Amino acid sequence: MGEAYNPYKTAQAQFMKVADLLGLDQSSKDLLGNTQREYHFSIPVRMDDGTVKVFRGFRVQHSDARGPCKGGIRFHPHETIDTVRALAMWMTWKTAVVDIPLGGGKGGVICDPHNLSMREQEGICRGWIRQIANDIGPLRDVPAPDVMTNNQHMLWMMDEYESIHGGRYPGVITGKPVGVGGSLGRTEATGYGLIYTVREAMKELGMDPKNTTASFQGFGNVSQYAISLLTELGSRIVAASYWDQADRKAYTFRKESGLNMEELWPITDKFGSINKDKARDLGYEILDENAWLEQDVDILLPCALENQINADKVKMMSKKVKIIGEGANGPTNLDGDKAIQDRGIYMIPDFLANAGGVTCSYFEQVQCNMNYYWEKDEVLQKLDTKMTSAFHAVHELAKKRKLYMRDAAYVISIERVAHASKLRGWL
Amino acid sequence: MKARNDNKLENLLKDLQERKKELNCLYKVEELLNNPQKPLEDLLRDVLDIIPTGWQYTELCLVRISYKDQVLETPGFEETPWMITEEIRIQEKKAGDLTVAYSHEVPHSQGQIFLEEEIRLLRTIADRLSHTLLHYELKKTFTKWQGIQEDFSHNKLEKWRAIMETLRRSDKKLFIYISRKMLRNLCLSGSEQANKLLKTFNMDQDERRMAVSDDNRPLIKQKMRRLLELSDQIFHLAAETMDEDQILYNIEKWIQEDKSKFLVKAIDNPNSSLHEIIDAITRYRYIEAEGIKLSSSIRKGLRVSLVRRFFYDQLEFINVAKKYIEVRDYYDIVSHIIFHADSRGSLGGKSAGLFLASRILENLTSKYEVFKDIQVPKTWYIPSDGLINFLYYNDMEEVNEQKYKNIEEIRFEYPNLIQIFKNAQFPARITDGLKTAIEDIGDHPLVVRSSSLLEDRLGAAFSGKYKSLFLANRGSKEERLERLKDAIAEIYASTFSPDPIEYRTEKGFLDFNEEMGIMIQEVVGSRMGPYFLPAFSGVAFSNNEFRWTPRIDRNDGLIRMTLGLGTRVVDRVADDYPVLVAPGKPDLRVNTTMDEILRYAPRRADVINLETNVFETINILDLVRHYGPDIPMGHDLFSKVSDGIIETPASAFFINYEKDDLILTFEGLFKRTAFVQEVRIMLEVLQEVLGTPVDIEFAHDGRHLNLLQCRPQSFAEESTPQEIPHDIPAQDILFSADRHVSNGDVPDIRYIVYVDPEGYRKLSERSDLLNVGKVVGWLNQILPRREFILMGPGRWGSRGDIKLGVSVTYSEINNTAMLCEIAWKKGNFTPELSFGTYFFQDLVEASIRYLPLYPDGNGSVFNREFLLNADNQLSRLCGEFSYLQNVVHVIHVPAAAQGKILRVVLNADQERALGYFAVPR
Repeated sequence: MGEAYNPYKTAQAQFMKVADLLGLDQSSKDLLGNTQREYHFSIPVRMDDGTVKVFRGFRVQHSDARGPCKGGIRFHPHETIDTVRALAMWMTWKTAVVDIPLGGGKGGVICDPHNLSMREQEGICRGWIRQIANDIGPLRDVPAPDVMTNNQHMLWMMDEYESIHGGRYPGVITGKPVGVGGSLGRTEATGYGLIYTVREAMKELGMDPKNTTASFQGFGNVSQYAISLLTELGSRIVAASYWDQADRKAYTFRKESGLNMEELWPITDKFGSINKDKARDLGYEILDENAWLEQDVDILLPCALENQINADKVKMMSKKVKIIGEGANGPTNLDGDKAIQDRGIYMIPDFLANAGGVTCSYFEQVQCNMNYYWEKDEVLQKLDTKMTSAFHAVHELAKKRKLYMRDAAYVISIERVAHASKLRGWL
Repeated sequence: MKARNDNKLENLLKDLQERKKELNCLYKVEELLNNPQKPLEDLLRDVLDIIPTGWQYTELCLVRISYKDQVLETPGFEETPWMITEEIRIQEKKAGDLTVAYSHEVPHSQGQIFLEEEIRLLRTIADRLSHTLLHYELKKTFTKWQGIQEDFSHNKLEKWRAIMETLRRSDKKLFIYISRKMLRNLCLSGSEQANKLLKTFNMDQDERRMAVSDDNRPLIKQKMRRLLELSDQIFHLAAETMDEDQILYNIEKWIQEDKSKFLVKAIDNPNSSLHEIIDAITRYRYIEAEGIKLSSSIRKGLRVSLVRRFFYDQLEFINVAKKYIEVRDYYDIVSHIIFHADSRGSLGGKSAGLFLASRILENLTSKYEVFKDIQVPKTWYIPSDGLINFLYYNDMEEVNEQKYKNIEEIRFEYPNLIQIFKNAQFPARITDGLKTAIEDIGDHPLVVRSSSLLEDRLGAAFSGKYKSLFLANRGSKEERLERLKDAIAEIYASTFSPDPIEYRTEKGFLDFNEEMGIMIQEVVGSRMGPYFLPAFSGVAFSNNEFRWTPRIDRNDGLIRMTLGLGTRVVDRVADDYPVLVAPGKPDLRVNTTMDEILRYAPRRADVINLETNVFETINILDLVRHYGPDIPMGHDLFSKVSDGIIETPASAFFINYEKDDLILTFEGLFKRTAFVQEVRIMLEVLQEVLGTPVDIEFAHDGRHLNLLQCRPQSFAEESTPQEIPHDIPAQDILFSADRHVSNGDVPDIRYIVYVDPEGYRKLSERSDLLNVGKVVGWLNQILPRREFILMGPGRWGSRGDIKLGVSVTYSEINNTAMLCEIAWKKGNFTPELSFGTYFFQDLVEASIRYLPLYPDGNGSVFNREFLLNADNQLSRLCGEFSYLQNVVHVIHVPAAAQGKILRVVLNADQERALGYFAVPR
């Protein structure tokens, strides 16, 4: 009988690989290979029918060596502490790679919102905060929405936290609507962040954006803003795949002269489904699902689902492809990654490429803490600065150490956390 | 050519002119007769003067009204060869006549002096006169009666004697009837003398009894004189034993009973036509207005007979209906029935269910405040034998044999048949009725619905097979009438369409003589731009058979609703989702995450386009953008999505229809209005009164909730509880379940796709786990649709951790008959199986059964041995994935179970389901 899959063990193994590469000592491995603090607690909630049900909640703070912990709160019926631990560790590396002064955390409640009314969910949110109110905070640990939680949950949590602490602390939570402590620019952040790194990669590879072509997988929020910005830089985006809600299957739409967001936005719904007929009228061809990846382009940007690109798919890619930027989380599997490395394609790994989102959360927190909110341009400009310098740090390291970009990104983030711990005298 | 056209036009104009005259005349007569204050003679004289204006040659027209011994004539009246007469009949007896004559010969065609329309007009006026004269007579009697009462008020002792004396002289039959009643009354109170008298009274009856047993002699008729003598004795006795008031009270009561006898007679006679019954009811309406009331026993009897005549003779229905439908409740219905002269039809099941439900709700309004708001749209009816009459009128009886042809032939001929129906003529009387309906309804949009007799017997699965047609009902009266006739013809034709015939053959109902009632109903709704639609509409069920969380109980009910016409909710549509809510637990929603709420919000609406006169489907967002402010209660129907929050607008002020990102959620309606409570109470009350869970259809126009249909829920095929067999040998049982079971029957499963929880748990590569989903998707394409079931661990289609259940999308399982999620402690596939898989609503919409299995539970059977050991077809069907054969098992049931198939029966009442191998049906 094989053991059940344990995400925490996988995450630890991944860390150990890089730790060995870096030659970290045992105490560093012990500290960073495990979670720094964990809170397990019970949340009694008065249900709609008058009974009380007790829910199990967690908060894991993997490391706050570089700054307050940052990470989402998940509502999931099969939540396990090991899942939460693994995700908290992942958050530490993610904040470190973009070099924002935050650590990694994650939380959750074992519950299924499908079995709960909104009022009961509110009860869970407020109950969760009551248990942990003294161990989180704008300068300690900052939660955000995650699986099956949304902005509404965050507002209830913020409100409860502020009631307990008797003040206004919007920085305790991120992912809030503008006007209640939210930041402008959040919608664009991930897509723009991706293109900032791609732009820098083009510079490094000596490519002129005006002479480059690209193709996207997915047409959600990330892709839409990425296409928009990349077009602005002068590149021609010839194709993107999308999920057709009505047909329940994916297609690729293509226009040799380049996708035009101004004409596409009006025929796109909020799930990134485009109206096929109207697209045809605008001169787009509708091709099959995988066509996006077979295009004769310089840049491929997978911004849809995880585990999409395997070795076979890499074979389908044009010889012309020079850069892959992972807008999605984990779009490439192990085989695929190996094949890409072998082909010498320049890879911008997911936790760097799509870190625009978490960077914007950081900006939200900063703005909240000083109770002064920037204009959108200012947010996006600061985002550019952060992403650009994060990219160059990884790129330099990869070049210097002849590392694959993904490995370089891990190395740099673990190195940063270890270094902070050392400076603090912990190690 | 032009001359001919001009001529035609001229004729047409003339015709129209004539119609106008006739209608004018009828209108004036009506107006006169509705004024009961005038003395009779003045009234008749006025009518006399008006009648000529309705005739083609007014100046030559002479009229005579003779009534009893009165004769009134226009000056110079004489009988001529150019004359028509209609009888004036009161209480089924001739009381006079109405004659129209031309003083000179007039031009005529084909030997007909008078136009068809004129003959009909005369008949109508004569009918109306008869009613009015009856009314006058009754009034006279009544006044006389009051006079007698007043005369005797100072001499109470003599009052009843005077009445009896009057009766004895004027109406011997009634006199004897009352005597007999009195005698029975006295006997019941125990008077010995009365009993003796009864014997004498019944002497001949005793003889008759003997005669019946001995030989076949006819009855001996009582001598009238002797009967009168006996009556005297009876009242003598009565005077001794009862006080005056009592006697008077009884006599009064019995006289009234006698007055309404005609109604009982008409209704109880199985041979009376609809016309006679409607007539009797109309007459009774006048009498009742005069204050004459029926005894409660007669009233009860009448109620039962009326239900039987107008609706059905099913006992369960009658038992309830007789308590809630009064005679007077038919007054409105009878004036809205369009029927041919000798119709004996009923109004069909749909009408029956709706009418009864509306009566129940109205009766209980005092108890349940919420019912005040509930209405039923204005409806006209054509009785069930209208179809037969239509066929007969057009010499199309042979169409009835259509159903015995082979199905291919029927299918081939059907399009042609529709055209034949559409080109057929309606009998004049029906056309007239439809005209009246059109005038009554005006240009309000209409829906023409079938209300067939078979629908009641075969249930919901069948009712969908006949058509309901929506009409914009715009244009001239003639155009509207033509479209209405066209729609009725099309619905008539649908009786002979291949689908229902195939279904009837299957269920053994082919020989049943299908009759088709028609309901012509005003569509509930309001105008929004060029469209007409309800603010929202839907269906609601007492029993919730698709519970998305274990916290919802079956009797929490279910509402499926959307914006626009309910067609999208009644018929399942593949690419759109109605909003679901359980009235008992309205806060527990199917879609809880942001993504689900957005993804599963209804996107399209069915509407009537008033400009193009067609029924169409439009995008809700387009409607919102262009005509948002026209949508009634918009802020209760839509939620605003902004910055990751779904907000219910506090009022109309907070909605910008042109710019806001709006989705249809009904949040405001659910939270701020009594709607959900209204539906919940309605379902509860109807279920309690009707003694069965119900299934209702409703629509809301922004002002009122309208009830459109009500029938027992068990009619819905998918929710019939199945008998769980107890005699299945243990080796033939594949699984049993006892938690969260819905109702239903999944017969004839030939393939099982089984994902073994243990095997699945052991897969460590993510790509392998994903491949399991891919295999399932592939099998879904190649296995015969709805003949296979999927069984596997945990929550299927989970977007989260793939370890928790097989990763599939809806399109990868859409052909299965059933999905069984297995909760298995060992693999952490427990404790909470989720009904709320995010594609749960997809399953609901596609009628795919869902059943959770708990193999670890006490007493539940799960034959894993069979599933693991049966020959696995996986490598044969998809060799590419044969390495997964320890995880995915594809079993051809007949091969593995000695020719048997798998059958799953589900019974929610008993919370039990059983999957077992059985001989194919």
